[in-house]
Amino acid sequence: MNPEILKLARALAVEPERLAYLAEVDTRDVRRLREQVTTTLFDANLVVLERMALASKLLPAPVVAKIAEKVFGPLLCARIAGLVDVSRGVDVAKRLSPAFLASVAAELDPRRATAIITRIPVPTVVAVAEELNRREDWITLGRFVDHLPDETVGRCVRLLDDAGLLRTAYLLDDPSRIDHVLGMLGEQRLPRLVRIAAEDETLWPPAIALLSQLSEEHRAVVRPLLADLPADLRKRAESALH
Amino acid sequence: MMRRMAERTLAEQLGGPLPEGIEALSEQHKQDLSAALREARHRQSKALAQAGEDSLKYVPALLRGAVRKVVGL
Repeated sequence: MNPEILKLARALAVEPERLAYLAEVDTRDVRRLREQVTTTLFDANLVVLERMALASKLLPAPVVAKIAEKVFGPLLCARIAGLVDVSRGVDVAKRLSPAFLASVAAELDPRRATAIITRIPVPTVVAVAEELNRREDWITLGRFVDHLPDETVGRCVRLLDDAGLLRTAYLLDDPSRIDHVLGMLGEQRLPRLVRIAAEDETLWPPAIALLSQLSEEHRAVVRPLLADLPADLRKRAESALH
Repeated sequence: MMRRMAERTLAEQLGGPLPEGIEALSEQHKQDLSAALREARHRQSKALAQAGEDSLKYVPALLRGAVRKVVGL
């Protein structure tokens, strides 16, 4: 399914199939709608959330962490993350389990919480990425790639197998970033992605989307491999590489 | 009279014009998107109201009054 529909369904917490009627709508318009929906949901209840963020300053970090995990849950933690003092937010996040942080990450608007996300220790981020990989939550992993520093992204995407990397790349908000990410993964990774796509038809749309974002240097790596692809895929790949 | 949230259109909930391709959808589909957004907002408000009260159980007794005051409970 169109990645933008998947991301909108996630923002609204509905099954993607419910939004199937958006398949004919220009992807850019679905993306604009998602951004409007995200803003609306994050701004709803803002006054109460700001008061709660303020109140959290009165409490020791271990108490806030306990309330976060036992009472607030991932959705409300994600809403409040961008409102708390950064060093306090990082201190609390360090006390939360990777499984809980993975659920928070799934609800987060990274644009609002970048300051906290980028200061969480790398081993914690990697543990969260492992959990997201286990859950096959490619949407959230895509957000990591979109918003985290290179070093952290490199460590997170190395955890993914080839199919997981293709599916994550398909869901990036900034698809052009994938070429840069591939540059961090060594020469063998791109040929492996092409070969794995040839074996699984559900990977064709992510693979074609990825090929269309490659730099000339990476296109040159892929061209010699096209002859081994199934005819339909080869045709689409050739067109994407033009 | 102000319309209740249940009757607000998608554009009204979003507080601005819809992207062109969304505006061009059928009324039925726009209403479905509006309902999905309304449900998401409702779930969020409900969770927040519940969390406000439940959090106090974990706040040390000495700080409860101060926290209540800041949160406005």
